[in-house]
Amino acid sequence: MIYFIIRRLILTVFLLVLVSLITFAIFFLVPRLAGQTTYQLAAQYVGRNPIPSEIKAVEVKLGLNAPLYLQYGRYIKGIVAGTHYNNGTDVSYCPFPCFGYSFRNDQPVWPQLISDAPVTLSIAVGAAVLWVIGGVSIGVLSALRRGTFFDRFSMGIALAGVSLPVFFTGLIALELFSYKWSLFPNVHYVGITTNPLLWARNLILPWITLAFLYAALYARLTRAGMLETMGEDYIRTARAKGLPERQVVVKHGLRAALTPIVTIFGLDLGLLLGGAILTETTFSMPGLGEFTILAIQNQDLPEIEGVVMIASFFIVVANMIVDILYAVVDPRVRF
Amino acid sequence: MKRRSTFAVTAVGAIAALLISACSSSSGTSSASSGSSSTTTTGFNAGITSVVNPSSKTGGTLTYDVRGTPDSFDPGNTYYAWVLDFDHLFTMPLFGYKSCPGSCGLQIVPDLATSMGTTSDNGLTWTFHIQSGVKFENGTVVTAQDVKYGIERTYDRSVLANGPTYYQALLTDPTYPGPYKDRAKNLMGLTAIQTPNATTLVFHLQAPFPDLPDVLAFPSSAPVLPSADTGTNYQLHPLSTGPYKFKSYTLNKQLTLVPNTEWNAATDPNAKQLASQIIVNLNVNQADLDNRLIAGDADIDAYGAGVGPAAQAKILSNPALKADADNPVNGFARFVYISTKVAPLNNLHCREAVEYAADKTTLQTAWGGPIAGGQIASTIMPPNIVGYKSFDYYTALTKPGGNVTAAKAQLAACGQPNGFSTNMAYRSDNPQETAEATALQASLAAVGIKLTLKGFPSGPYYTDFAGDPAYVHSHDIGLAGGGWGADWPDGYGFLDELLNGNSIAATGNTNISEINDPVINKLFTQSNTATGAARTAIWSQIDEQAMKDAVILPAVYQKVLLYRNPAVTNAYVQAYYGMYNYAVMGVNS
Repeated sequence: MIYFIIRRLILTVFLLVLVSLITFAIFFLVPRLAGQTTYQLAAQYVGRNPIPSEIKAVEVKLGLNAPLYLQYGRYIKGIVAGTHYNNGTDVSYCPFPCFGYSFRNDQPVWPQLISDAPVTLSIAVGAAVLWVIGGVSIGVLSALRRGTFFDRFSMGIALAGVSLPVFFTGLIALELFSYKWSLFPNVHYVGITTNPLLWARNLILPWITLAFLYAALYARLTRAGMLETMGEDYIRTARAKGLPERQVVVKHGLRAALTPIVTIFGLDLGLLLGGAILTETTFSMPGLGEFTILAIQNQDLPEIEGVVMIASFFIVVANMIVDILYAVVDPRVRF
Repeated sequence: MKRRSTFAVTAVGAIAALLISACSSSSGTSSASSGSSSTTTTGFNAGITSVVNPSSKTGGTLTYDVRGTPDSFDPGNTYYAWVLDFDHLFTMPLFGYKSCPGSCGLQIVPDLATSMGTTSDNGLTWTFHIQSGVKFENGTVVTAQDVKYGIERTYDRSVLANGPTYYQALLTDPTYPGPYKDRAKNLMGLTAIQTPNATTLVFHLQAPFPDLPDVLAFPSSAPVLPSADTGTNYQLHPLSTGPYKFKSYTLNKQLTLVPNTEWNAATDPNAKQLASQIIVNLNVNQADLDNRLIAGDADIDAYGAGVGPAAQAKILSNPALKADADNPVNGFARFVYISTKVAPLNNLHCREAVEYAADKTTLQTAWGGPIAGGQIASTIMPPNIVGYKSFDYYTALTKPGGNVTAAKAQLAACGQPNGFSTNMAYRSDNPQETAEATALQASLAAVGIKLTLKGFPSGPYYTDFAGDPAYVHSHDIGLAGGGWGADWPDGYGFLDELLNGNSIAATGNTNISEINDPVINKLFTQSNTATGAARTAIWSQIDEQAMKDAVILPAVYQKVLLYRNPAVTNAYVQAYYGMYNYAVMGVNS
């Protein structure tokens, strides 16, 4: 088991390096291949009406005129140990982990990512708890009561949940529960350390909105899995042995049906931690999703690069955890 | 164009990289604590001409929501209109615009300076004195050297990239590198500005420029204490000289201001210190923001570009909400350039035919209608510019649907009685400008003028297409969509780049009509030495002459629908900004 975990950790690091390499190549090699000069790249840091000497100074300071492999080495060094930017007269230090300086704000990217992460974490984790509990419960009940009114009704709602985008359900939720009935007035993000109650109150609508989408998906998946599992021979055997129905369903049926759900959950949560873009935008919550949108609007390559790396990190780590859980459940995976 | 396609490739690639990895109640208002209020004035558009809810009550939290983010809160690094307005809460530039509603708000007045200054050396030297006793938030007394340093640092575009570049263009010593390149050597090294004592500044200009005080009304003329300058990080906590100071600022998310205890109201009559706290929520979704405004969770949309379509309908259909709204012109004009170089529009009568034939009501509709779009324009300058004079040479106001008879007469005089064909450039990623081009195409077709529309992206529009005279000539671009907002509210700020023959440039050209009328050029030259009313009169003369030349087809004076929380006190539209004056507001419970 230990060797398996070590192997997975090494693979995780390798994947992150690969992602960093590809991301770096996309942002610095592809533009060069497309004809963009390092001088033009440097000009994006200098704003309107710059004089050529200023652009040149930035080009030298950020090392944009160096060979790409050196730039990549410096980029990795920055992430691992921080780096100095120096053109002789102008020196600045970008501390570990350095993802470069934003074109737009002239600020290091990492502190901005870190300050946004708690918002995304709050939304994603809260919603995940809701959708796993809600989705799996409804899916199991629907499977056990196949063909009943409950089954049809819950699957109809689930279909709506899958079909309705977050920006629609979110706006409706805000309109009704916040502005019309004032059950959750003045929804905005408050840090959990500032006021835990207000934090939870203001996140209820985003959680429900996001969970509605995912719970619907999970309910349908769980139902399908349970229907398949409950028809297996070993379930019949378990019942024949005289096991209580509850034990048959939970211990033998649900456990087997959950395997694909765990896989998808890891991916979904990993993706969301990289930025719940629609939810954050709809509720004006300043997390990684809003940060991403701003970075794209401003064509701020270092910020986009930072977001890609942190999103990749979450996805890769989530996958690693899922793989380890698999290995616990099914020893065949270790080999 | 190249930058966009490059960016698209990068974005797709970024997504690919992600896929590879996957394969493995604080409320807007609160109670006021002390002070007194005077008679309440309110109603639709009340804030354009009068102060709504005038009051001296102190206390409470004032909440501003903003749909976007600032370019920077560093006073030396901003060009966004709403930030220029907002900066007065924590900066004192040398000059400002008088805090009052209506056209009174277009009047430039001393702020940190004691007077409008004196000129000598045939207008090449300006001398200003600053008020003594003004302090930074840390208690340090402001000196002329701090003002000079604040200006010096804007010369380094690698540190402060966003602000205007008038100092380099106007002052001697244009190649000064700024104080960051060699801080010890170059600190206070700008020779164009001298500080003979702690309260005197002497500016040396390359050429006479009567509007220098307007340039010094930008926040970049606010003092910066050299020892407190943290370069690019100064935006996170600029040292205040205004009524409020930074308590906390999370970049692009939220700013909290609290009263600056070192501020003295007697030295800063254009600002007030009423609310006990000001919270600015940044990057708020427009629909959410509008709902928060109407619900009272936010007090003002500081971005100042008006509410979205859904909220417009809600506000205009509800008399109670409408009474808390204003619909001012915001100083921006929308128009269509008419080329003087592309045949047959190089003939005055053909240009006049376009002026007459255009259906101004459809142009207004294209821009969003009379409330959210703007007021039909008959002049180049909008009404909130000093020097504006109303006239109507092409029956835009009397026959807004187009004057077909007059247009046909002009076509006959032009030698094109059956009309002609030409091309129109427009920004295809701007839905309103696209609608404007389509509307103009339809109305000109009624008199036989066949318009072929050529859409271009906004980014390179002025550099590679409409603003490149060679491209315009070779591609027969007879008309081009455009718009303009002045950096300061007088005719120079509005007209020089559009109509001065000297402004025609090989790229980045804003005189797209390529008008080089000796009469207009002479008026601009006269404006460099004229003063007072005589100078103001020149602006309307230029406007009239350009309209006689038919080089611009005015569409609308842009308007926005602003909403103010009824709890806000001292709310009025500052004419220069076309948005509320954020420096004087307070809040009632």
